[in-house]
Amino acid sequence: MALIVVGVSHHGAPLDVRERLAYQSSEVTGLLDRVRAMADVREAVLLSTCNRTELYVVEGEQAAAPAVWSLYGERLGGDASGVGYVRRDRDAVAHLFRVVAGMDSMVVGEAQIHGQVRDAWEASRSASGAVLNRLFQTALLVGGRVRSETSLGHGATSVSSAAVQLAKKIFGSLVAKRAMVLGAGEMAELALASLQAEGVRAAVVANRTFERAQALAALYGATAVHYEEAWTALADVDVLLCSTASPHVIVTADRVRDGLARRGDRPLCILDIALPRDVDRAVADMDNVFLYDIDDLRAVVSASVERRHRELPAAEQVIGEEVEKYWQWVAGLAAVPVVTQFRDEMNRVRERELAAALRRLGELTPEQRAAVEHFSQSLMNKFLHEPTVRLRAAAANGRGLGVVDAARYLFALDERRAPADETITPPTEDQR
Amino acid sequence: MTAIAHFVAISCYVGAAALAATPFARPVGAPVRGVVALLAAGVLAHLAGLIAYARVVGQLPLTGLGPSLSFAGLVLAATLLVVELIARDVSLTLVTAPLAAVPTICANLIGFAPGVEMPGARGAWLFAHIALSFVGIAAFGTAAAAGCMYLVERRELKSRRFGAIFRFFPPLATLDRVNHIAAIAGWLGLTLGVVLAVTYSVAYRELSVPKVIWAMGAWLAVSGIALRRIVGGWQARSAAIYSSDSFAAVVAMYVAFRVAETNGGGRFL
Repeated sequence: MALIVVGVSHHGAPLDVRERLAYQSSEVTGLLDRVRAMADVREAVLLSTCNRTELYVVEGEQAAAPAVWSLYGERLGGDASGVGYVRRDRDAVAHLFRVVAGMDSMVVGEAQIHGQVRDAWEASRSASGAVLNRLFQTALLVGGRVRSETSLGHGATSVSSAAVQLAKKIFGSLVAKRAMVLGAGEMAELALASLQAEGVRAAVVANRTFERAQALAALYGATAVHYEEAWTALADVDVLLCSTASPHVIVTADRVRDGLARRGDRPLCILDIALPRDVDRAVADMDNVFLYDIDDLRAVVSASVERRHRELPAAEQVIGEEVEKYWQWVAGLAAVPVVTQFRDEMNRVRERELAAALRRLGELTPEQRAAVEHFSQSLMNKFLHEPTVRLRAAAANGRGLGVVDAARYLFALDERRAPADETITPPTEDQR
Repeated sequence: MTAIAHFVAISCYVGAAALAATPFARPVGAPVRGVVALLAAGVLAHLAGLIAYARVVGQLPLTGLGPSLSFAGLVLAATLLVVELIARDVSLTLVTAPLAAVPTICANLIGFAPGVEMPGARGAWLFAHIALSFVGIAAFGTAAAAGCMYLVERRELKSRRFGAIFRFFPPLATLDRVNHIAAIAGWLGLTLGVVLAVTYSVAYRELSVPKVIWAMGAWLAVSGIALRRIVGGWQARSAAIYSSDSFAAVVAMYVAFRVAETNGGGRFL
């Protein structure tokens, strides 16, 4: 048995390759059926996001990677192996753990991948078994552990999330806070969507083109106004989002001062994401005004991205520990069929020798016959008890595969193996 | 027992402050449970120390400089613990735990000599006055700590520095709310403490001018914040500046009276 992952990701594959290899959830079952038909595959899970397409496979005696490359190539219309990768066993496990933790993502530490992996596993449940179910279940826990024990997921990684972070630093909760938007461009809409997701209500949208202001206002349940009418609303809003295409400053110190006079001590957060800037720099010196421009938002982003990268070694340590734990479990799983086969084989020997002994002994009463049978059973159990216990223990403490191979060799189990023995049985609670 | 328990309490307060400061050394969140557990352990040890003291001398730790300073430290630490359990935020420990540790250390250095205890109803009256005043001062201290943190974080936000303070201090609104609630709690505690002191002075014809000046100073300071917050809708920066400055003034006034007492042989707190 070998666990492999065959895939392409943003690390090596260009966008057009990733686009073509992206599978819809409705296509997953078909792909998994095909890969199982084409190769000796016992279990498979497909993970397909905008940044990666990966097939996790538990292969049998024959290598499954060529079949997977062939399926990818068929969809791509060319060979995908040149821009992809194959990882095996521990490396494959570590790879998935890194993926779930966001360590392999384009934006390191992003959390969306956690849900995507869970969805991928759910969509592939018909083709996954004990090994991959355990792998994905563990991977999701590892992702959570990395996020809680390191700051890999902390901080803003986009301009709009930095805007939210800054506003939250001032107001705490943003629920029911009111925002005014100057300019109805794409950036403003993105930032407004992020703020609204945190509970901010868009109160006023002002734009040079009134129709565009109306369209954005209708989308967010706000009131559309002309620039000239916007300044009176300044007294009532908590966040001012500026993103106009104006070539000169439109939010002057005088305009803000008039608004502030009617605000009391309430803070005003101004997010100026326009280029050139919309807000006069003198506004930043006013009491209770917190002014941030696009460079400030980018500074927040780059600081948190840098911090996330600094956390990678700590995250790698968690991954290393969890890979070892998982691999010990896999090794334990490999011992199960060997133990069963070993005991079956010994039992066959016992039955053969018992029959011969009973023939030699001649006529026996039923009680005598039962006593001899009991003796043979008991003797076999006594002989097998210690090796069985030690084989299970060795498998559980991580030395499993070597000891299992030794047991196979010593008792010639490979030569006698029945096809049914190859099936990996789901682990029992004891084995876990 | 008293000295050992105080040593443990001081270690726990300092340890809690150090643990709350870990985000400044490494970019991970402060271990909330660890800080709260250390602080709780410190409060328990402190309480055990004062109970041991009370059993030995046969009176509550409200009279005598050492015992009353220690009691003040305990009330401040317990107030901090309650605030942090409610807010689920431990950054206030950075300022308030050292603030609780300092009077406790002073108490240990000065020693635990008991003061004169009044018998009967007079003793109970005095006890209520001292206990409420301590609660009021502890809440006032918490308001001042929140105010200091507000000012530091505000300066960071205004100057667009996005370092450890930006990441790990609570939002300005939270610090403002803690300042607000603590100022009002401080005003209630000190008002009741002062009312009891005035009636005590009238009933027993006992008056200490330095005590009256200091108590009225503290009461006026905390009343100023509480009333302007409630009546004037005052908030944020002004309250933060006023609460931290006025608390510093109250502490400075206390130290000045203590020094004068030592030089003049008078009787202060």
